[in-house]
Parts: sequence; C-alpha cells; structure tokens
Amino acid sequence: MIRIAAVGDVHLGEDARGLLRPALERVGEHADVLLLAGDLTRHGTVEEAHVVADEFADLPVPVVAVLGNHDHHDDRANEVSDVLTDHGLHVLEGTAVRFKINGRSLGVAGVKGFGGGFAGKCGSMFGEREMKSFIGHTVEIAGMLQNALEALDTDVKVALMHYSPVPDTLRGEPPEIYPFLGSYLLGEAVDATGTDLAIHGHAHFGTEHGLTPGGVRVRNVAQPIIRSAYTVYCLEPQVVES
Amino acid sequence: MTSEQYLAAHLRRAVAEDPRTAELGVRVTVRGDHVLLSGDVACEQRRAALEEVLGEVAPELHVMNDVRVVPAGEPMGEEELR
Repeated sequence: MIRIAAVGDVHLGEDARGLLRPALERVGEHADVLLLAGDLTRHGTVEEAHVVADEFADLPVPVVAVLGNHDHHDDRANEVSDVLTDHGLHVLEGTAVRFKINGRSLGVAGVKGFGGGFAGKCGSMFGEREMKSFIGHTVEIAGMLQNALEALDTDVKVALMHYSPVPDTLRGEPPEIYPFLGSYLLGEAVDATGTDLAIHGHAHFGTEHGLTPGGVRVRNVAQPIIRSAYTVYCLEPQVVES
Repeated sequence: MTSEQYLAAHLRRAVAEDPRTAELGVRVTVRGDHVLLSGDVACEQRRAALEEVLGEVAPELHVMNDVRVVPAGEPMGEEELR
C-alpha cells in the first residue's frame, strides 16, 4: 500500500505562517509522501517562498511540489523554486522523482500546467500572437508532462499539476471560465502514459473527484475543496508476476 | 441590472489584483446596495483585507462577508483507490 498525502492552493504568506505545521508534523502517521499541487504562495515572492519552505521543511515524509499561477505572479518562479529546493522539497516542472515505499516504487511527474479548455470547447494556436502563445504554453507543458510520465517505469505513476486535466473536477465553477482552469491536453498526456492517478488544484469551487476520458482517476486537492491540511489517497500497486 | 454586472466585475478585479487581497477564489455578488463575498481564504486577516479593499473601491455598498477561513487540521480519513 502506498499512501499519498496531497494539498494545493495553500496560498501561504507571513500572515499564515505556521497554520499548517501542527497537522504536517503528523503527516508521517497518515502518508508516505506529500504532494503539493501549486499556488503555495499568494504573490510568488521570494519572501513568501521562505514561509512555504519553513512550513514544509524537515517533515517525516518526502515533499514533492509543482508551482501554480500565484507562484508566478512576481515573475520570480525560478527563485521561488530554488528556495523550496534548498529546503529539501522536490520541485517538478517537466521532471519526475521516484521513491521506494514498502517494497514498491512510486513515480511522480509534475508540471504547473495551464489553461486552454476542454475538447470541443478550447482555444487553438491560431490568430494573434497572444493567442498562439497562450495555447502554445499549454502544448509545451503537456508535452513535458507526457515525456516525464513516459520515462517513469515505477509500480505506481502519479501526475501532479496545478491546472486541471479534466472538466469533471471543475463542477461548481462557472463553465465560462473552464478555459482558464485547465486543458484536455494535460488529460491526454495522463491517458497516454499508463498513469494511475492525476492530482491537481487551482479550482477552489470545483469538486474533488473526476475521471479522465481514458479512465484514470483525477483528484482536485485545492485546500478549500478538501477542507484540511492535506488529504490522503491509498493505492495498492498491481502485483505483476515476472 | 447591467450596471450591477459591471460593478461586480470591477470589484472582482479589485479583489484579484489588489496586492492586499490577491484572491481569485472569492466570489463577489452585487444585489442593490449589498455586496456578498463568498469562498475560502487562508486566515482571518485576509477575510478582513477583503472588506478593507471593497470599502475603498465601493464605500457606498454594504458588505456581507460570508468568506470562511479554510480548515487546516489533519484529515478525518483516507480514500482507498482500487
């Protein structure tokens, strides 16, 4: 059994320092790894990154994070990543990490993701430069996610992102803003790679449970959805006799 | 009715773009001279900051603040995915 704790959209700043820490100190009793689905800060400043780093450093389980749109607001995403990495967090963007847990291997591939919308109701790389670069950003990120997932040969594969790969977990949000909340291209990457679970945040008014068109479970772990410091999913890897 | 829609859009932008709030996850609904805020924020100070920003942008409106501080405790259980 692999136990995965996850939370997104914690939006930490100096005013919220230490709020999650009591529950985090005990995360090892609930889970084997903790995944952070982006929007760790409010404005993406280096100062806020230090609050995040202090909150999630030195926990009894490995911590794996992707950044979200808030973490890019101050245009210092690389520095934010560096602060978190310096404090022992794994920050993914088109990359992956592997862990050995109870004799089984877990791989987590992560990207920020981006918008664009869902099949039949989405933007295309056509027209103005701004429109081509909007959808082009999603195309590039989805490609990075697919490559990182494909490279994993672990018993369990998890895709971690901030934006949603499916519309299911956006129910509760106005349908008109779905193109700003996720993209089917992320779901396509999940479905093409034998992934077991996709975790995302971003949609505070959405719902927790969803499914990709290819039948992969999706969970929206935005803190306003899960209403706790983190939530826990337990996966039993399929035993394949060789 | 139309002016209420423009006002709500203006207030939503203020709540998202003002650095004191930077909240995209708070709903702003205008009804007559009332403005309803709903959603979740990380702490009590941010709940208060919403009222501060709206008070400056639209001092004529009565703010109904239904925003909640999101719980940060340990999870009650776990979900088994089989």
